[in-house]
Amino acid sequence: MKVGNTFGPIDIAVSGLRAQNKQMEVISSNIANARTTDAGKGEPYRRLEAAFKTQSDEISGVEVGRIEKDMSSFDSMLDPGNPKADKNGYVQMPNVSLPVEMMNMSLATRTYQANAAVLRRYQQMVETTLELLR
Amino acid sequence: MSKTSVVEFLEAGLKAEALRQKTIANNVANLQTPGYRRIDVKFEQQLAKAMASDGEIEPDELKAELYQPKNTAVNPNGNDVSLDVEVGEMVKNSIRYKAFIRLLNKKYNQINEAIDIK
Repeated sequence: MKVGNTFGPIDIAVSGLRAQNKQMEVISSNIANARTTDAGKGEPYRRLEAAFKTQSDEISGVEVGRIEKDMSSFDSMLDPGNPKADKNGYVQMPNVSLPVEMMNMSLATRTYQANAAVLRRYQQMVETTLELLR
Repeated sequence: MSKTSVVEFLEAGLKAEALRQKTIANNVANLQTPGYRRIDVKFEQQLAKAMASDGEIEPDELKAELYQPKNTAVNPNGNDVSLDVEVGEMVKNSIRYKAFIRLLNKKYNQINEAIDIK
């Protein structure tokens, strides 16, 4: 991505918007699958996490590099009636914690708003410059 | 830039930005269309070429070209339009458009000044 031109801040703010959009997608996947016991391979759903990275090593925007799996251990829940229960009556549940997801969602929303604010402010700045041309 | 006037270049620029605004509207309208790839306008390169040609390429011959950049992430349904990107493009477009209009206005004011000298 080219920076250092008039539209650099706009491109960077848009990259922030896109990254938070992706983050929201990951969070909704986690919340929707918070009680999914079958994600194939006999395992419950594994929580996903978006890893952000910079677009270059100078002034740059952000992008979602990889969507990584949270390898922390699964929850187990006592539910002897469940067909997936083991011999002690425990069922393996996804390692999704709803409070964590809600917190991440607030963060994603606020970060999105911050990027939108940058975009708007910068637009106002350039328009101030254009006022000088009147 | 010798023979051609500033006004003509500004005119070509305004036309290109108007076309770009249309392509952005088109992209947003096709936000959910499976297999749709976003369209953009190729104009700056042609403008630079015309400026460098020293009047050989007239600004009114400049034709803004439509193309598919195909450089944004593609959704599972083959669509690569992102609303955020389009909003960003729209902001950039309106800034450019405004700049061209203001410059054109400036130029006309200059001409007016010249006419008003008695």
